[in-house]
Amino acid sequence: MELLVTLRKRALLERILPLVDGVIIGRFFAASYHLGSNEMRIINNYCKSNKKKVYVQIDNFISEDDMDELLDYMGFVKSLEPDGIYFHDLGLYEIAKEFSLADKLIYDGKSVLCNSLDTRFLLNRGIDSVMLARELTFEEIKDIASNNPGQVDIQIFGHQRMSYSRRKFLKNYFEEINRDYDYLNKESLYLIEEQRDYRMPIVEDDEGTFIYTDYIVEMFKELPKIADVIKRGVIDTLFIDNDNMILQACRDYKRVNKENADFIKESFRHSYPENYSSGYLYQKTNISKDE
Amino acid sequence: MNKIELLAPAKDLQKAKIAIMYGADAVYVGGKFFSLRSRASNFSLEDLRELSQFAKQYGAKVYVTVNIVFHDDDYKGISDYLTYLGSIGIDAVIISSLALIPMVRKLAPKMECHISTQLSSLNSAAVKTLQEFGADRIVLAREASMEQINEISSKVSVPLEVFIHGGMCSNYSGRCTLSNRMTLRDANRGGCAHSCRWKYHLFDGDEIISNPNCLMSMSSKDLRASAYIEKMIRANVASLKIEGRMKSEYYIGQVVKTYRKMIDEIYHEGHLTQARLDYYDSELSKAENRPSDDGFLSGSCDNSKHLYGVIGAAVTHDYVAFVHDFDEERNMATIEVKNIFARSDELEVFGPNVDNQRFKADDIYDENWQIVDLCNKPTQILYVRTPFRVHRCDMIRKVNKR
Repeated sequence: MELLVTLRKRALLERILPLVDGVIIGRFFAASYHLGSNEMRIINNYCKSNKKKVYVQIDNFISEDDMDELLDYMGFVKSLEPDGIYFHDLGLYEIAKEFSLADKLIYDGKSVLCNSLDTRFLLNRGIDSVMLARELTFEEIKDIASNNPGQVDIQIFGHQRMSYSRRKFLKNYFEEINRDYDYLNKESLYLIEEQRDYRMPIVEDDEGTFIYTDYIVEMFKELPKIADVIKRGVIDTLFIDNDNMILQACRDYKRVNKENADFIKESFRHSYPENYSSGYLYQKTNISKDE
Repeated sequence: MNKIELLAPAKDLQKAKIAIMYGADAVYVGGKFFSLRSRASNFSLEDLRELSQFAKQYGAKVYVTVNIVFHDDDYKGISDYLTYLGSIGIDAVIISSLALIPMVRKLAPKMECHISTQLSSLNSAAVKTLQEFGADRIVLAREASMEQINEISSKVSVPLEVFIHGGMCSNYSGRCTLSNRMTLRDANRGGCAHSCRWKYHLFDGDEIISNPNCLMSMSSKDLRASAYIEKMIRANVASLKIEGRMKSEYYIGQVVKTYRKMIDEIYHEGHLTQARLDYYDSELSKAENRPSDDGFLSGSCDNSKHLYGVIGAAVTHDYVAFVHDFDEERNMATIEVKNIFARSDELEVFGPNVDNQRFKADDIYDENWQIVDLCNKPTQILYVRTPFRVHRCDMIRKVNKR
């Protein structure tokens, strides 16, 4: 299994690269990356010269108005010769074919890719692999990955995206309450529902609003059990501003195995106390309204 | 060029029949399994067969939603189900699982595969991808503007379906699991708790920045695309879709009839005047209970398109009775009470063949032919004299004084 980390700022590159197999970068049509084109190229060159892999994330939906910009961006992405492209909008499949990049595609459907048959359907279309939904149980992940060995990616660490809207929730809200506030691309904002106490990060950029889980999912104990059938495990760094914590997560995922998993899990949680969770790994969410 | 299709939702057999009788070209319904909207009293296999036969009498089509986001265990029984749907003449399934496309081709080759809005198709490239994957129709994302719909339509050959009326997810469909987190109910498997409509405190670090008198909400107004119907016809959209599989027969009847007449008038007259559009909007208001707007069709959604405080909107007319029969000799309608009304209230009848005929309900009787002054027992059968002919399946509403 390849260990990847989302690199949202260039400053971390030299320290993080020795700890992982590759990085995921992005600029347009991806939430919360703060990289310019030149920075992406520098990162790409640095990774390549260190024999590390580079993946580009394009995980937003793309409106018809933005197609020309996407085509320009795809030209730039192609020039990077990336090892893979994480994509969310199925239109990317058609466009990637025009750029002869279809075999580099990794479909990240977020919440909609939850089964072996859809996984197989997409893999049969010539894409490289798929990123599974975060709402799956561990058993489900294991089954899907076993049915499609070596062709499935999962997020193994970080906050998980819970909702994605084209609506500008923050902009509209501040207009509604007549308040000037510097909210755009700000990663320190969070929501608490009035009857609950979950602190859910919310971020808004030019393309919409994104809400993430209040907790960080970690899979130190689970990963060694499925690492042989998983193609890539991704550490998502969004909303994690402690660089040392990110570096330690990379270090620990690189060395974790069935024997040391308990120790690593406990020592990591002890060193970096946060709101951790197993997410849906042991929690099904198919309760109906009538139950 | 084919006439644009008016596609209506239905919660059960009765409502599906109402939708077809009131002018829908097609209805979409959910079975007991594999369908979102778990609380809708979904159709049994026998209901689906009956609906298919009923629809064919009217030249209407039936689409069945098989649109949950499947987990491996959820596929149990799907082959038999698809085979059955094909055998009873269901015209299409609405799906979000792409793996169902080859299954449908094999098990029910005459049945079409329509791609659900759950896949949020927002551009021509996505539509082409899905067409290449075998889809027969694509339901566009509700985030597309009218200009974008026009542009997409001009670039693709597969039929497009567009939402025109009803509730809207405030997030991209299928990409919201707020309900999963807060209630353990899977939004993508029929359990959505509408957590987007709840109230939220907003913080920046440890500082609370929301207004305690107006907490943040993601709740969106409902969609009403009446002003865009003409443009959608010109854009060669194949189907206009009304949302609302949980809605009442009154809502279905009123909304379907209004859009039916609007579409027919546009085809007949070539254009809809502002006065006629205003009229149709007033008709739609008789059924709405949430504020509405044109969503993303005009390009963007500002704060005026959100609901922060008031959730409901005043319905201008209350649905009070359903007509079961009419005795021509005595001008007496057999009605079923739906909501409270009183003798001498001003009532309005509408139906597949009746347009807003008003009368005062001066003569109302119960089954013992006793005069009734206050009709306040829902489901009670009563008899009311009307000054004109009414028909089975007409509906009666009270004209509210405002």
